[in-house]
Amino acid sequence: MAVTTAPEGRGGAGFRLALASNEVGLLLITVGAAALFWHLTPGFSSNFNLYALTRVLAIDAVIGFSMMVVLVTGGLNLAVGAIGVCAVMVGGYAIQVLGVPIVVAAAAALAAGAALGLLNGVLTVVMRVHSFVVTLATMSLFFGAMIVLTKAQAFNALPGEFVSLAKIRTFTFVSGMIYVALAIGVMLWVFFHHTLMGRQILAAGANTEAARLSGVPVERTIMVCHALSGALAAFAGLMLTARNGAALPSMAGQLGIDWLLPAFLAPVLGGTLLTGGVVSVTGTFLGAALVTVLSNGLLQMRVGEFWVQAFLGIILLAAVGLDRFRAHLIEKRRVR
Amino acid sequence: MSVSALLRTDWFGLLVAFCAGAIALSITQPTFLSSFNVYVMLTAFSLAVLVALSQMVILAIGQLNLSVGAIGGLAAVTFAGTMEVWGLPIPLAVLAGLLVGLVAGALNGAITHWSGLNAFVVTLATLSIFKGMTIGITEAQPFYDIPQAVKDFGTARVGFFPLLLIVAGGFLIAMFIFMRRAVLGRQLLAVGGNRHAAELSGIDVGRVIIAAHVISGTLAAVAGMLAVARLQLGQPTIGDDWLIISFAAPVIGGAILTGGHVSVVGTVLGVAIVTLINNALVLLNVDPFWVQLLLGALILAAVALARFRDA
Repeated sequence: MAVTTAPEGRGGAGFRLALASNEVGLLLITVGAAALFWHLTPGFSSNFNLYALTRVLAIDAVIGFSMMVVLVTGGLNLAVGAIGVCAVMVGGYAIQVLGVPIVVAAAAALAAGAALGLLNGVLTVVMRVHSFVVTLATMSLFFGAMIVLTKAQAFNALPGEFVSLAKIRTFTFVSGMIYVALAIGVMLWVFFHHTLMGRQILAAGANTEAARLSGVPVERTIMVCHALSGALAAFAGLMLTARNGAALPSMAGQLGIDWLLPAFLAPVLGGTLLTGGVVSVTGTFLGAALVTVLSNGLLQMRVGEFWVQAFLGIILLAAVGLDRFRAHLIEKRRVR
Repeated sequence: MSVSALLRTDWFGLLVAFCAGAIALSITQPTFLSSFNVYVMLTAFSLAVLVALSQMVILAIGQLNLSVGAIGGLAAVTFAGTMEVWGLPIPLAVLAGLLVGLVAGALNGAITHWSGLNAFVVTLATLSIFKGMTIGITEAQPFYDIPQAVKDFGTARVGFFPLLLIVAGGFLIAMFIFMRRAVLGRQLLAVGGNRHAAELSGIDVGRVIIAAHVISGTLAAVAGMLAVARLQLGQPTIGDDWLIISFAAPVIGGAILTGGHVSVVGTVLGVAIVTLINNALVLLNVDPFWVQLLLGALILAAVALARFRDA
């Protein structure tokens, strides 16, 4: 039980600050963790490690965004990993078998991701069930279809220009992919806070009935969010493919399940409420940063790569405990 | 029971579907009814039914448990590891495995209840913790040194009847009676159906929630240990592929994800149908990956059908 009480144990001003602004708190914790690892292990601060770290961070942040945009609606998307792999295999097929240019293949992958996501959204709306059961079914459906169609064969003759996109290094230690992830974050921020659709999505997520009564097309917001989630999952898949140098059916594990933990960790750490209606793009990025720094640092400290997953689980538990507490405080403020 | 009453049960349609499939297979595939093939199917059924019941108990209270497979895996490596490394006798190793399942389930239940958090996130976190422990303990290597008695039990059969089914069948019957007759079993459904009403009628909701998770963890642990006996080694990957089947069978069997309504008979038939499909694909030489595709489609169809029936 020490796990769940840990954040409260820190107590005092730092804790209240973290509550006042979740992002500031996360940033402080992330910087603190990085400083600690920097001090403790020489491997952490090497140029190559920082480059590898920022590259993983870029991918995990986009995976986190992909889940975030569905959490906003109060739903969830178990199929992020499956969609990511399916989209990448479409892209790999286009580029390697059909021989289309990279841009066209990437667009095809994104379109495939958006289409699969849209299917999730339509099924959720039409069947009027929670997106959990819909995406549980489609994760099996999509992944199964992908394996049957590809016969579990990778596309590993991708053009060099595509693979080299993942190898761009700036300032000797920052992966070029991080700028892409940041750009996506900025676009999502603008979308949620400065467009009509984005505001409608937040309203529908916070209180479905009230939104419906004030004329928000709730069903459409759900479908848009799922399609967006699919496209983002496809984008994360493309980034991972560029890094791996091949479109691998196994890149997200069986049924794409390996993506679930990073997908939930980043937004939940970042203060996106699971009940919907609250979104924090910056928080999701910082959440991904914290997770990446911790897992990279733990690996560098030779804690044993096998134990990292258990640590991440404990962090998630602590984060949702905090999330719950925050929701409680927001509730109180509303009553007042 | 009139025909219309039969049609309205969760299981009648499934029974018809199962029988139709079995008859079609036995006519077209002569090997289908061979005692070895039936044995293979019953062995697969024994494991899957425990996994499905483990999830069903949690669906009854209106929650879900993503960590079923992770608990099964942890219990499996505990069972195999205590025998190989500490040389524990088999009954003590079984107890150790059961204890792991019980404690893991109790943790899930206690955290969910006391924190008021969504069971989805809690069990996603504990999935990662339990799986991480399994990988950490084994360093991703299986325990090979399983006592001969356990190995023999895993492959033992009388004609077409695997001995593993005695264990699974025992738990199945116990669960059937429990959900139907036991006070706690009825309370599970009451809490799942309407938590507030259950609270007002004097049910200790916390106790019921924790009890459900303990039962779920224990069933998962039993499934994990049976998997060790069947595979003849303590694989750390045991439980990795349980997630979909654990939800598919109860949902096909008419369970409602918001809680309060589950059917043991429906769940068993759900497992039976999935086992039948698996076997048919093997007999027909179809790519086994079709199973995943079909499972996904079956879940969607079951949910759509439930919607249609309610309307």
